[in-house]
Amino acid sequence: MESLSWTVAAPAVSAAFAASVVEVVEAFTIVLAVATLRGWRPAVAGTAAALAILALLVLTLGPLLDRVPLHALQLVIGVLLLLFGMGWLRKAVLRSAGVLALHDEDAAFAAETAALSREAGRNPASLDWIAGLGAFKAVLLEGLEVVFIVIAVGAGRGLLAYAALGALAACIAVLAIGAVLHRPLSKVPENTLKFGVGIMLASFGVFWTGEGLGIEWPGGDLALFVFAALFLVTGAGMAGLLRRPAGETAR
Amino acid sequence: MSLLKEVLAELLGMFLADLRLSIAVLLLVGLVALLVDRAVVDPLVGGGMLLAGCLTILATVTAAAARRR
Repeated sequence: MESLSWTVAAPAVSAAFAASVVEVVEAFTIVLAVATLRGWRPAVAGTAAALAILALLVLTLGPLLDRVPLHALQLVIGVLLLLFGMGWLRKAVLRSAGVLALHDEDAAFAAETAALSREAGRNPASLDWIAGLGAFKAVLLEGLEVVFIVIAVGAGRGLLAYAALGALAACIAVLAIGAVLHRPLSKVPENTLKFGVGIMLASFGVFWTGEGLGIEWPGGDLALFVFAALFLVTGAGMAGLLRRPAGETAR
Repeated sequence: MSLLKEVLAELLGMFLADLRLSIAVLLLVGLVALLVDRAVVDPLVGGGMLLAGCLTILATVTAAAARRR
């Protein structure tokens, strides 16, 4: 691991951790539905296969990124972070205002269980495969976002290992809690986490896009905190401004 | 094949979930890059434009999405 600037490392690690919590909770809901219907074997097999592909992606892309010139890397990753982070922030603001419905893990669990049960009726012989594939797809698709976030917040400053540790800690925490509770983690304040992560990713996006364009931010890394405060004020302000009355909230 | 399609859709969705937002951000970055590169504005002014532009885009796209629903 390279020399560490905690003003960048702390937001990078916490962004990777919080974003991973959001994604792992969603993937866990599907894996749990598979395990509940068909047992842990297909669920674990599908999850392990997806995690292997995701690990391969990080191990392949990480060293390749070291060869890209720093300014070009910061610009590309900065723009991608702006697109991704502001997308998350937009959705979190709209959910917070009641314009979009909040993500419901219990409903997602019920929908996945119903889908697998329907499939069982149609094709009982290959259900283990279908269940395993369901777990594989859920972990792979949700994991892609985690991989992007880890690479994006880590690669610009040589913090890939720290960001990966943040994501790994989130996986372990969610899986440990999920294993104990053995039900969807619907109490996780997903939208609040998404709001926070959106703010951090958008702030990193502005910071690295600027650095990629040759802009030297006053205060160096500390500028990140100013950007985060401005995104927070704007996001929270818009959520308050657009808030729907209780009866008109989206479900 | 269907899995590959889903992976590609997921990747596209990550960055282009709201087309208006994505286009506005790309145009903003392009404009700031042009102004800074041609030395039309001081780099720090360009940075301020980038930050202010992103905040404006966020406010505008959320307000527009709320109006549409």
